[in-house]
Amino acid sequence: MLCGIHDMLDATTLQILTESAKYDVSCSSSGSKRANKAGGLGNASVGGICHSFTLDGRCISLLKILMSNECAYDCEYCPNRRSADVRRAHTTPDEICELTINFYKRNYIEGLFLSSAVFDTPNKTMELLVETVIKLRKQYNFNGYIHLKGIPHADEGLALKAAKYVDRMSYNIELPSEKSLKLLAPQKTKDSLIIPMKKLHTAIIYDRENNVKRGRSLPAGQTTQMIVGASPESDGHILRLTEYLYRHMELKRVYYSSYIPVIESPLLPATPAGLLREHRLYQADWLIRFYGFDVDELCGESENLCTDYDPKCAWALKNMHLFPVEINTAPLEMLLRVPGIGAKSAYKITEARRFCALDFDNLAKMRIVLKRARHFITCKGKFFGAEGNAVRAALLIDEKNRTDGNEQLSLFSDRDNALSALTGEL
Amino acid sequence: MKIFITDGTSDGFFTAVFDAYKEDDAVITSQENEQLRFDTEIINVATDSQKAMRVRARLDKADRFATGDIDLVLRSNDSLKEQAAFEYIKLIIKNGRAVRKMLSNPTVIGISEIIGRVTGELHKMKGFMRFMETSSGALYAPYSPDNDITDLIAPHFKARLGAHKFAIHDVKRKKAALCDGKTWFMADVGDADVYLSEYEKVFEDLWKKYYVSVNIKERPHEKQMKGYMPVRYWKFLPEKGILPTDE
Repeated sequence: MLCGIHDMLDATTLQILTESAKYDVSCSSSGSKRANKAGGLGNASVGGICHSFTLDGRCISLLKILMSNECAYDCEYCPNRRSADVRRAHTTPDEICELTINFYKRNYIEGLFLSSAVFDTPNKTMELLVETVIKLRKQYNFNGYIHLKGIPHADEGLALKAAKYVDRMSYNIELPSEKSLKLLAPQKTKDSLIIPMKKLHTAIIYDRENNVKRGRSLPAGQTTQMIVGASPESDGHILRLTEYLYRHMELKRVYYSSYIPVIESPLLPATPAGLLREHRLYQADWLIRFYGFDVDELCGESENLCTDYDPKCAWALKNMHLFPVEINTAPLEMLLRVPGIGAKSAYKITEARRFCALDFDNLAKMRIVLKRARHFITCKGKFFGAEGNAVRAALLIDEKNRTDGNEQLSLFSDRDNALSALTGEL
Repeated sequence: MKIFITDGTSDGFFTAVFDAYKEDDAVITSQENEQLRFDTEIINVATDSQKAMRVRARLDKADRFATGDIDLVLRSNDSLKEQAAFEYIKLIIKNGRAVRKMLSNPTVIGISEIIGRVTGELHKMKGFMRFMETSSGALYAPYSPDNDITDLIAPHFKARLGAHKFAIHDVKRKKAALCDGKTWFMADVGDADVYLSEYEKVFEDLWKKYYVSVNIKERPHEKQMKGYMPVRYWKFLPEKGILPTDE
């Protein structure tokens, strides 16, 4: 079947609209198992799939693009703000659809991540986004993954309509307090973000409870993103918001984006927030979601996370009376709290020890990393860690080696997390 | 010591298991250039589908997932895969399905690492496979995986590509999964003559432009990129032209 392609995006437009979209951290294509339809193209893979990796080490899973970067707003931190001197471009629903289809069938991508600057009014912008995704589903019969950004202040009916067609939606909170929003993004308000997120959450619950099969709202749920270090909020404040979003709004992911000063402004810091802070937030986020930690155990409301150690180490050092734990008898919840032991390692230990008591040699052969863990465990009663204050010193050296040597931190330096990153689960 | 040399097929392997099972000191391999000890006896296994079937049936009874595990192991490029599979089979016959939870047993660790490398590559290739559109509208993807996974990956693309015709060509093993838009099958394919669609270069160039544009220059991390996307997989990526070429 060879037919002319009329709606072809040109390379310059693609470049402008991608460069404007790239600071959105989310790239995940997981969480949905949408099936293909007769005569259609595409499906969604529940674990997500990465199709390429860029030189910054990030995965390309979706075609991440803006409908337009011509913005009516002037948010201080944003490279696309009205007063910024950048090249402007816009595209059409058909051009987006055509590009998505053609990238998808060559297996370049898993689907589309569509967003836009607010041109004209929020409603007009959102209407065009919704028109595009409906066209992609119905006219182009595309059943791959779609992530749609919500436009604040647009009519919530539009978001609820879009939710029936796309896999995931996100409203980016960007700044972690109302006060900072007022200062740096006056057109965004807490309500313009939280209210649509709550409505979408209600729709997700409704569809789940009524076992809706066709046109289920957002099978891959909602995510959001916060910029860290552009405003003065503490890690403790940010993580409490995070915990609320996970536990009460069922968000699938909260992304953190370490602030980079691309714009000079008296309202913004001149120095970058640094990747270590972002890294520590992600580690704490993981502990809250998968390791049974409450935010109160990790960080006081007005405190920042400790930079010297990862948050689990920091917690363990404060709770040395709970350690060492015996590998062969400790309950799973406690194994998960041992620094250096990840969820997969903890699972392996609980399975393996049913057949024979494990010693350090067994653990090493099972590829369980003992560098940090050895200070907190015993195997068959034996202890090979350091005593007293020497633990702190040993961990500090280890952590320095992990975070210093490389010019940059790998977010996913643990084996477990590296695997999830690879599968696109993140 | 007896070395049982198979023809490399799955039936050949299971026949060797049948013949070698009672021996104390047997090694199974499909590699002919196995290092020989002076006291080694070489036995060329005559593939016998009846024997193979009996071993499979016995294994199935011990653990219904085991033949699936062995199938994955035999797809590996690991030169010691047959021996690892043989040891695993002996362990399962002895202990039953509990074996798959014995995660500190060296044989089980060895097998799960081989399987992990095969399924890991299967997953990666779902992402790194690249199709080109031919002038007839069919999609053609050449690749060269470490392990023999083409028939495992074909159903994934069949489900996605719907009515599209496509070919997934393992150029190293000279075989391909071919799909006419309705059903797919495996065939031996050496070289393929491919005439590309007039749009192919346009989309390839747009993809390269996208690849460059979505990168955040302020956060370079080439080491991580190469960790996730090993250099040996770059050969068939259109974006390879803009990847660093120092290797």
